[in-house]
Formats: sequence, C-alpha cells, structure tokens
Amino acid sequence: MIGRGHPWASLAPALCVIAVLFGGGLALGLAGSFGAGRGGGWSFEAWIAVLSEGRVWRSLALSLWIALASTALACGLGLGAALLLRRSFPGQGLARLLFQINLTIPHAVGALGILWLLSQSGFLARLAGGAGLIDGPARFPALTQDHFAIGIIAHYVWKEVPFIGLILLANMHSLGDDPEAAARSHGATPFAAMRLVLLPLLMPALIRAGAIVFAFSFGAWEVPVLLGQSAPPALPVLAWQRFTDPDLAARPEAMAIAMLIALVSALLIRAAFAGRGR
Amino acid sequence: MLRMMAGVGGALMLTAGLAQAQDGNALLGMSWDEIVETARGGEVNVFMWGGADNINAYVSDYVGGLLEEDYDIALNRVPLTDTAEAVNIVLGEVEAGAAAGAVDMIWINGENFRTMKQADLAWCGYVDKLPNAALVNFDNPAIANDFGTPVDGCEVPWSRVQFAFAHDTARTPEPPRAIPELLAWAAANPGRFTYPAPPDFTGAAFVRHVFTHVAGGADALVGPFDQAKFDEVAERTWDILNELEPHLWREGRTYPTSITQLQQMFANQEVDLFFTYDPAEVGTAVVNGIFPETARSYGLSDGTLANTNYMVIPVNAANKAAALVLQNLLLSGEAQLEKAQPEIWGAATVIEPDRASEKVQAGFAALERHPSVVSIEELGQAALPELQADWTSAIEDGWIANVGN
Repeated sequence: MIGRGHPWASLAPALCVIAVLFGGGLALGLAGSFGAGRGGGWSFEAWIAVLSEGRVWRSLALSLWIALASTALACGLGLGAALLLRRSFPGQGLARLLFQINLTIPHAVGALGILWLLSQSGFLARLAGGAGLIDGPARFPALTQDHFAIGIIAHYVWKEVPFIGLILLANMHSLGDDPEAAARSHGATPFAAMRLVLLPLLMPALIRAGAIVFAFSFGAWEVPVLLGQSAPPALPVLAWQRFTDPDLAARPEAMAIAMLIALVSALLIRAAFAGRGR
Repeated sequence: MLRMMAGVGGALMLTAGLAQAQDGNALLGMSWDEIVETARGGEVNVFMWGGADNINAYVSDYVGGLLEEDYDIALNRVPLTDTAEAVNIVLGEVEAGAAAGAVDMIWINGENFRTMKQADLAWCGYVDKLPNAALVNFDNPAIANDFGTPVDGCEVPWSRVQFAFAHDTARTPEPPRAIPELLAWAAANPGRFTYPAPPDFTGAAFVRHVFTHVAGGADALVGPFDQAKFDEVAERTWDILNELEPHLWREGRTYPTSITQLQQMFANQEVDLFFTYDPAEVGTAVVNGIFPETARSYGLSDGTLANTNYMVIPVNAANKAAALVLQNLLLSGEAQLEKAQPEIWGAATVIEPDRASEKVQAGFAALERHPSVVSIEELGQAALPELQADWTSAIEDGWIANVGN
C-alpha cells in the first residue's frame, strides 16, 4: 500500500519514529534543563549557572572552532576530490573505492588511529626519532591533546572528505555534463564553466552536506574525549562530565549544555540555509 | 577505578521481559533457604565498570559459572565506563515510578554510593541475612565507612584497594617516595611527570594526596567537611600545583584526560611515573606486555590512600532474591580467594581469612604476587583513610577552577 495513500499517511511510520525518539529526547532534555531536582518544580537555575560560567563559553568557542574548521576543510577538499574523480581515467573504480573506504570506519576507531599516528609517541614521532630528527617524545610537535585541536580537526577532515565527495559526485552525476557543455559551446573556458555554471549548481548540495558535517563535529563527544586537551573541553565533553558528576545537582546543568549545543547548531545551520536563499 | 569516561550502549536493552519487582520486606521475613528457593531459576543484572578484561572474566566466567551451576541463576554483566551511568538509570527509573528496575546490583563506592544513599536509591538492611557476612568484620572502620559515608547495611564490601605509584627500575632507579620528594623530583625532571585532570577518578586521588600532605596528614581532614579548614588548605595546595605546572608534561598547558591515557604515556616512555588505585594492574600490564618487566609499583613513606569497594542493590531491583544469593556468593571464602589470585585479579580481600575454612586459610597463606606488584603488607604500613565525599567533591571542583583552567 505504500505510496498509494496520502503522503502524510505514508510518512507516518517514519515521522512517528522521529517524533518519539528524537523529539521525545529533545523534550525530555529541555524539561530536565529546567528541572529543580527530584522535588519537582521548574527553575532557570541551571541555565543561569551555565550561561554565567566562563568555562562554558570557552568550551563553546573551542567547539565552534573545531566544527567550522573541520567543515570548511572537508568541504574544500571534498569538492576538489569530487571534481578529480568525476572524470574517467584508468583505475577510476579503484580510486573511488579507496576514496570512500573510510566511511565504514567508526569515529572512535578513526580517532584512535589518529592518536597512534600523530601523538608524541605515535608512528610519525617514532619515525622522526628513528631518523634522528628528535631525541625524545616531547620534541615532537603536539598534534593531539593540543591547544588548537589539530588532532580532532584532522580526524573530522579525514572522515568527512569522502562523505562530502560522494554526495557531490552523486549530484554531478544527476546534473550530467549538459550545463557545462552548453557553457563551453558559448565560448566559456573550462575553468569559467566550472566556476560559473557547475559550482552554483552544486552549492545547495554542498551546503546541505556541510551542515551535516558541522552538526556532527559540533555535537559529537567521542572524538574530542579521545583527542582533546583537558581544558577547556569541547562542549559535548563538558556536558558529559556534568551528566556523570556524582552530584545530582549537576544533572540539570548537563541538560542545559546539551540544549545549548542543539540550539547553537540549529541556529547556525538555519543561518547558512537562509544566506543561501537570498 | 569505578569512574571512567566513555559511552555506554545497550544498557537498557536488558529491561525487556521483566517480572514484577521483588518485595524487599517480604524477602527480609524469609529464612535464607527460602530466599535461595525464591531466587532459583532467575537472573541477576550486574552493572559494573568493564574496563579490565581479567575482572570481567572473573565475574562472568567464574562467579557467573558458580551461580548457574549451584543456583540455576543467570548472571548478566552490563559493562559501564562510569558508575554514575548506572546510578543515573536507577534515578531515572525511581523518578518515573518504575517498580521493577533494570539494575539489580552495582559495583560502587565513594560519591556514587553517597548519591544513592542520600536519594534513597539503595536497598538496605539485608546484610544480616547473608550467611557469609559472618566472614566480614563490619566493625572495621575501613569497611563500615565508604569514603567517610557510613555504610549502614546499604551495601556489601567486595575488595580493598590501596593507591600505589609505579616506575621503571631500568629508567628511573630512584623514584620519589614521598609527596614532597615527588614535587621536587618533578621540578628537577621537567616534562617527565603529569597526572590526569580531575574529574578523572585516579587523577583526583593524586590531588587528594597533595592536599593531605599540605594539611599535615590525614588526621587533619578526618570528619565532616569544614569550609574554613578547606579554604586554608586549598589555597596552599593550588599554589603548589600551579607552581608545579610548568615542570609537567607539555609544560602543564594540558593534562591527560584519563588514567588510561597516563598508562599509555608511561608505557610509551613519555613520562617516568605512573600511579593507580589498583596496584595489581601493574602486574597485569607487565603480563600483557604493555609495561616492561622492570616496572615496579611502590608505596609512599607518608602513606597512600586506601578504600573499600562494594556491591549495592538498588531499592527498585527487579531480582532482589537473586541479588542476595550473588552477594553471598561474592563474599564466600572461595570466591574471595579466587579473586585474590594474582593471575586472576590480585584483589585484596574484605573477609577475615581466619574466619573461613582451613582450606581457604591455607590458600590465602600460599598466595604469590607478581614481582611487579607491591605487597599489601608493605603498602598497608602507611595507609591513609579516604576523605568524606564532601571533601572529595570540593577538592575536584577547586582544582578545576584554580589549577586546570
């Protein structure tokens, strides 16, 4: 019967899942952030405490930096890779397979890989030590648990470039060669055809894919907890610390921080779409 | 040890197919034999920190095997990375009025126990029912108080642990053996020492050692929280730790975020000292090839903190009878002896061996420890009591605000 009834009827099962699991979690989290504790009642205490805490703002700034830098780099590199991979060349199938192979690797595993590769006792540091370039782990530049979150951003870029690339490749496939070919036949150079015709056509897909990458890298916990510095922690790590604090009074603050993550993420993505729509 | 970071999945999957919660009062009115008959054929869901394979195997295979064989009870071990996760589940269930909870037992101590006791989430008053409770000396203050919180029959002791440091004799033949020596050593060996940032459990315990040293010994901090005393000691402690900071790993700009990270850094020779709340872990790390054969754990002349860990049954546990049978089994001389074997776990017992059977007594007398693990007797010569939970939270929060930012 799927597809015959009213669209809303067909969508109902999926919408129910989203409404109950996602909406329900969001509503409970929001309620928890206004909770005054086990006695019941409502209060803004947790929000006031969270918003007046310098640590929260420093964590927010770090998370914004991580998400913006990861998204920008992943979009740029993903676009470049997609443009290269769309042409046919010998071994193109193999190249595409290698390009997308890390999509299946879980984030936590990828983050451990980054640790083994980039940390001060990691593979690169050992190579440098073996080659006599450095005389101890501390001499290797700090690329994980570092002030600029280089390890975290490196992980997200490594993981998300194929994601962006695949979405753009699928998009280019459905656009076909016609728009560019038409521009070329009117005398545009290949570069001008790409910049003035193909890129604007790809923009909506790039912004959508970028929004997904932004939301994930802004709100995910497992990568910064493995690769991040101790202070300030990324905002999701701070929320988790409050949630697992033995003091029950910290629970509403954990919920308020989680809601702050959702709110900032939603507002920024809304702004990106709105900016596109003008 | 009971508080580690990371996610937990599937914990709630076990809630499916629950029977009615067993009425605790009805059980307390039964004889032990009747309780065992009630429990027979059931199951028990044990939520516990799951970060060590040997501990997991001991509980799932050895204890779970005995429970299945002797009582036809299935033991479901649910691994946690932070004990607070299980407390959160119980809290959520009780707040929602769920009578038949998913959690039948939690491996716990310290702040998490205090939280459960304060919020009336722990089932109390059953300890006298357990035949093997006679093996435990409940008058021992180290067992009657969990981080200063009176146990009051609301949890049953399982193991004792004492904090110890570790060094590699090949790399650092003469490690510092007291807190003031350690502070001087760290300053003389820049970049070779660090500690995990609280709220990491072990890192917070290290900070408590410095705090205790500044206070002039553990006696000064015994008893309930004292704000004036705290302010006085805290200010000097933060000064010492802030002065230490430039000499730490990465000049103290960041700290490891977990004890696991410090363990890897010690294994990779990024730092020269390691510490742990479970010295048996050093032997396990040597056996697993993570630490070199020359690694040794040792105590401090000015003492290291010691604590007891426990098993608690939540007030809404669905399988209370099976949980009681399991509590009794965990306390048996045989199970405590097995747990103390170095190749199994090497955990110090909470029972008085001379109250157990002769065979168990002989077993305890014949225990051999791994050469890398400091002896319980040597460590125990200078054991510091843990501070009350109000002190530990205040020290954690104070460190984060004054040193870790």
